[in-house]
Amino acid sequence: MTDLVGILVTTVILGSIYGLVAIGMTLIYGTLRILDMSQGSMVMIGSFVGWGILVSAHWNPVLAIVFAFAATFVLGMMTQLVSVQPLMGRRKAIDFEMVTFITTFAVAMILENVALEVFGPQQRNVTPVVSGGVNVYHGVNLPYQSIAMAAISILLMGGLGLFLGKTRWGMAIRAVAQDLDAARLMGVPVSKLYPVTMGLASSLAGVAGVFLGAQFFAYPQAGDLPLLEALIVVVFGGLGSLPGTVYAAYVIGLIQATTEVFLGTTWSLPILYGVILFVLIFRPQGLLGKPSEARL
Amino acid sequence: MSEPLLSVRRLSAGYGATTVVRELDLEVRAGESAVIIGPNGHGKTTLLRALNGLIRPSAGEVLLDGEEIAGRPSEQIARLGAVLVPQGDGLFPEMTVEDNLLMGAFLGQSWRDRRRSLAHVYDLFPGVKARADQQARTLSGGERRLSALGRALMRPSTILMIDEPSLGLAPVALDAVYGAIAELKSAKTTILLVEENFTHVGGIADSIHVLEMGSITRSGSYKELSEDEGVVAAYLGSIT
Repeated sequence: MTDLVGILVTTVILGSIYGLVAIGMTLIYGTLRILDMSQGSMVMIGSFVGWGILVSAHWNPVLAIVFAFAATFVLGMMTQLVSVQPLMGRRKAIDFEMVTFITTFAVAMILENVALEVFGPQQRNVTPVVSGGVNVYHGVNLPYQSIAMAAISILLMGGLGLFLGKTRWGMAIRAVAQDLDAARLMGVPVSKLYPVTMGLASSLAGVAGVFLGAQFFAYPQAGDLPLLEALIVVVFGGLGSLPGTVYAAYVIGLIQATTEVFLGTTWSLPILYGVILFVLIFRPQGLLGKPSEARL
Repeated sequence: MSEPLLSVRRLSAGYGATTVVRELDLEVRAGESAVIIGPNGHGKTTLLRALNGLIRPSAGEVLLDGEEIAGRPSEQIARLGAVLVPQGDGLFPEMTVEDNLLMGAFLGQSWRDRRRSLAHVYDLFPGVKARADQQARTLSGGERRLSALGRALMRPSTILMIDEPSLGLAPVALDAVYGAIAELKSAKTTILLVEENFTHVGGIADSIHVLEMGSITRSGSYKELSEDEGVVAAYLGSIT
């Protein structure tokens, strides 16, 4: 029973964080048809914002989340304007997905090296947003930081779902993802919508960075592993499928948590990648993706 | 005679190096129902796409209510009141019918106005209301066409353009779609409609233009063109 509770708790925490980073990538892929490699940098920037506000300035943790959200929103918009927008007019004449994969990767490298220059290579401790913890079941300890991380991730994912499903601009983002020409005929200003979408997605990664920084330090390469994990979640869930991404995030969290409890952490990644390999061979479109199409 | 609402002068448009619409002239007056007919592949859809900014014309001018729109992006043309029901309907497949309708009112309407427009469309098309919560991709051809027409009516238009409303529809659905278009005509909506043949447009067309090889070759009333044996025999099929 203790193992089961431990697995469930870890699944919720891991799944929520994976989901928060991956859902932004899915939003971008569904709308712009690009795999945005700068999302890891947004996690890194979020972790440095967290460090700056919590450790250097000793400000309120809520401010760390708000500032990380705002800073990465602006950076995400700028990334779109610099690395994607200039190519939009030629998207049918070039291999758009591959070229933007590289241009956003270039932005990621620039941001990473700017961080290296400004902050140096050392790992910096980030104060947890909330300290302390609770014993949930016979020795299964749950830090408040993890609870806050999962709660805010779930809140943001739910908020994003409501935004996309119920608001005029959220519906416009979905419309663009489903039929670009028809969305333009409805009057949706796509050239403004694209940077806003990428800003929104980046801000989710930025918030995740505040929490991940407290978990794994703030340093220039802090976004590399979250980016890789988010890519796996996005492909496993089905490119462009938001429900698939959330579902995949928790499935991957469950696989990792179960393996760690029964086989140890050494086996966690081999088992995870084995399952992903198996699933993608039989369902190349991912868990909830549609063959050759991507829809938000 | 009043100034035309839509004035197209020597318009050329196509895809890459291929010119499909060639130096085309056309005028549509406010409240008029103009119909363009012509064989497949002669530029009807390309013309509507160029008029609505989905492709950039290579030459010519297009005035909508006195304002030059040639080469402007779709979203700007939509803001001037042009509404297109594209071929294949252009519904958002993963959205519900109601969300599709609400997207039709994306431009500048208050929440209350959008609900009012929605109620109006549901009054006009009770069949669409019955499918309100269904995803658009699950609709039949006729339901899709009516939903697309309903979406086009969600905001005030200066001109409503409809691309081949009869395409692929069963007779019952066809009657419903053309019944709805006839109601729009009687409400003095300015309409530019393209079809492959004469068969269904008799009741709604104030003027008919024959589009061949990218240009308008003949224009006249329904009566005039239906008496032109050359037109009927060569391009237009049977007349009912």
